[in-house]
Amino acid sequence: MLRIEADRARFREIVRGRIRADLKRYLSTSELFARRGDRAVSVPIPQIELPRLRFGDNNKSGVGQGSGERGDAVDGEGTATVGSAGEGAAEHALEVEVELDELAAMLGRELELPFIQPRGRHSLLCEGGRFDHIRSRGPDALRHIRRTFKQALKRSVASGEWDPKNPKLVPVRDDFRFRANRPRPLPHSSAVIIHMMDVSGSMGREQKEIVRIQAFWIDTWLRSQYDQIEVLYIVHDAAAMSVDRESFFHLRESGGTKISSAYELCLAQIQTRYRPEDWNIYAFHYSDGDNWSARDTERCMTLLRDELIPRVNQFCYGQVKSAYGSGQFKKDLDESLAREERLVTAAVNDRSDISEAIRAFLGKGR
Amino acid sequence: MSLDSKRSTHLPEALREQSAHIQGLARAAGLDFAEIDFRLLDAHDVNGVAAYGGFPTRYPSWRFGMEFERLDKTHQYGLSRIYELVINTEPVVAYLVKTNSHLEQKLVIAHVCGHADFFKHNSWFASTDRGMLARMGEHSQIVRQAMDREGQDCVEALLDRALSLETLIDPYLPLRRHLGADVRSATNPPTFDVLGFLAVHAPIPAWERELLEVVRSEAYYFQPQRMTKIMNEGWASYWHARLLTGGVLSDSEVVDFADCHSGATADSPGRINPYKLGIELFRSAADAGLDIFRLRRVHNDASLIDLLVDAKFVERQKLFLYGQNAKNGRIEVVERDPQRVKAKLMQDLAWGGLPRIELISVSGARELELRHHHDGRDLDLEAARATLLCIEKLWGAPVRLFTRESGEARCLLAQRGETSIEDVEPAA
Repeated sequence: MLRIEADRARFREIVRGRIRADLKRYLSTSELFARRGDRAVSVPIPQIELPRLRFGDNNKSGVGQGSGERGDAVDGEGTATVGSAGEGAAEHALEVEVELDELAAMLGRELELPFIQPRGRHSLLCEGGRFDHIRSRGPDALRHIRRTFKQALKRSVASGEWDPKNPKLVPVRDDFRFRANRPRPLPHSSAVIIHMMDVSGSMGREQKEIVRIQAFWIDTWLRSQYDQIEVLYIVHDAAAMSVDRESFFHLRESGGTKISSAYELCLAQIQTRYRPEDWNIYAFHYSDGDNWSARDTERCMTLLRDELIPRVNQFCYGQVKSAYGSGQFKKDLDESLAREERLVTAAVNDRSDISEAIRAFLGKGR
Repeated sequence: MSLDSKRSTHLPEALREQSAHIQGLARAAGLDFAEIDFRLLDAHDVNGVAAYGGFPTRYPSWRFGMEFERLDKTHQYGLSRIYELVINTEPVVAYLVKTNSHLEQKLVIAHVCGHADFFKHNSWFASTDRGMLARMGEHSQIVRQAMDREGQDCVEALLDRALSLETLIDPYLPLRRHLGADVRSATNPPTFDVLGFLAVHAPIPAWERELLEVVRSEAYYFQPQRMTKIMNEGWASYWHARLLTGGVLSDSEVVDFADCHSGATADSPGRINPYKLGIELFRSAADAGLDIFRLRRVHNDASLIDLLVDAKFVERQKLFLYGQNAKNGRIEVVERDPQRVKAKLMQDLAWGGLPRIELISVSGARELELRHHHDGRDLDLEAARATLLCIEKLWGAPVRLFTRESGEARCLLAQRGETSIEDVEPAA
């Protein structure tokens, strides 16, 4: 490895320190979310500049070379406006990758989230494990020098070759010992996250943005707690449908709201694909709290109490405040299902409430 | 060197022959240079070496890691590419990138001969330490030992502080010393060598003093390169063009050469391309019958431009003055008046392109007084505040900096970790 890699690692460590210090801000913006890859987010950070005595910006003049008349823009296109906000910053931004696991750890520390004790465990026989065994065959790279010589000493003493005045040991083939690993059972846990969102007319751009930031952090945390995780997305207005991630965050419908449609679809998915004995199930529902009718709300309560809550680790309802929503649904839930421990509700009035809502949802360690 | 020893860095046979051939032609043409140690690296490793300023033995710092991150990313995205890296040592070390085409390697080898000749003969380099590779290794030892004793965070903080002051040195000091001037009092006020002053006089522990000296000596080593960038690149480009078109190229390579060469020496409207301006300066000098070998010996960028740039040159090279249009914030062509263009060019290049900051005096209460020699260009006051705090921290007593902002006198004061600005003229 080049020595420079050590310096790069140090630089990244400093950057991570900054992200950690800045996590509160990241929790209420979509900055990280938009830059998510499979295993990591790439975070743009301005180059860390050391202060210097240097010229300021009353000096945006200089000498250039090329054609052009007086008054022509210098970059050739004539469109650039230098000096507008962020111009310098964009030039100096560096993208640094932060693994999702690491981000989850930061989130866990920041919000003091408890680790989850998965239910329903499978054991898988995993290759690998630690090299904590010894055997007499193996590749040279795994040779255990001390054990090998110990063996040689034993043989040498036993066979009378050992001469304390000339303590020389030459291991023979049978003396060699090698480090070895042993396949061992490892607990294997899987979870499914089901995000449901109200996309009716009253949910505006800002409301969806809040949902999407929140869903990102929830995914990130749960992903760090399980070996295998699947994420389902369901949107609903008066009817519900399964969508992919992209549509989940961008779809905009109009019209009425029938929350039970989403809960029914959610239940159907659980029944057909995710047996509670095998899966840890997390359901999240986001809405502005307006439902079609009291009757449909009644239907929702029944579904939750009798079907959904018994099957899931936790059911979370996040109510995002909108200009039109009455926020009635959360009241209804809190009243009629007050005794359900596995139901968590949270109100999100604006972005600054996101971290509190995440803490409420994930703070139970279920 | 800590590069992976399993991979050979030697030139392949064919390139070695070419290299000997080109070096022979260069010497025959009058270039004179120390032995050149060519090494072949892949782009990743060259970026690593470049991040260290050319010295793989350099001390550890996150800043080099950041530079590497930047080089590596821009390289991955195909935004920039390093062809070669030449280090001013003896022997001269030149890193060539494996992915260069055969033609590019020939061009780069010729180019390197130009740089090596320049390092050896330009008087601004006369007193640079040619054993810098080993010196950097010693510096690395000093830094590592300090980290072991004092802790990494603590040493890093001090290095960062010292590096903020890296530009506060006297660019003319090495030359004065070389010419036999008495420089014993160079670090006493009044002096431009603020970093040197602090390294000698600041009330700091020995290890901090030692690290300041490390930073200072590296700053002095790199300073001449800052002051001769245009000349150095121009000289090297002038010679690679002459040598290659003088018999090194095969017929089939001429077009590729022209492409590669013109890519490196293209106009770049917003700023000066040192390759382009430099090669044109030497060409016009040669056309005028001047002794270009003498020019490359005695000048730096600013003085060479003073000598060679005239109305004809400005017109032929299409040099112009640009500035910001106050109405729409656009950067626009302002004028092409040769006198003004030349004056601006020299202003930008003088003093290595940096503001001139002089340490005037130390008052009775140990207050440091610095003065910015204002030439119409204001300082970035926010950065100046932060820099003053670095000085104050090392010096342990208040530090004042007199400057001007939009024509008004300003005095920045740093004391007890805080800064303030007053409208005060320095005492006469």
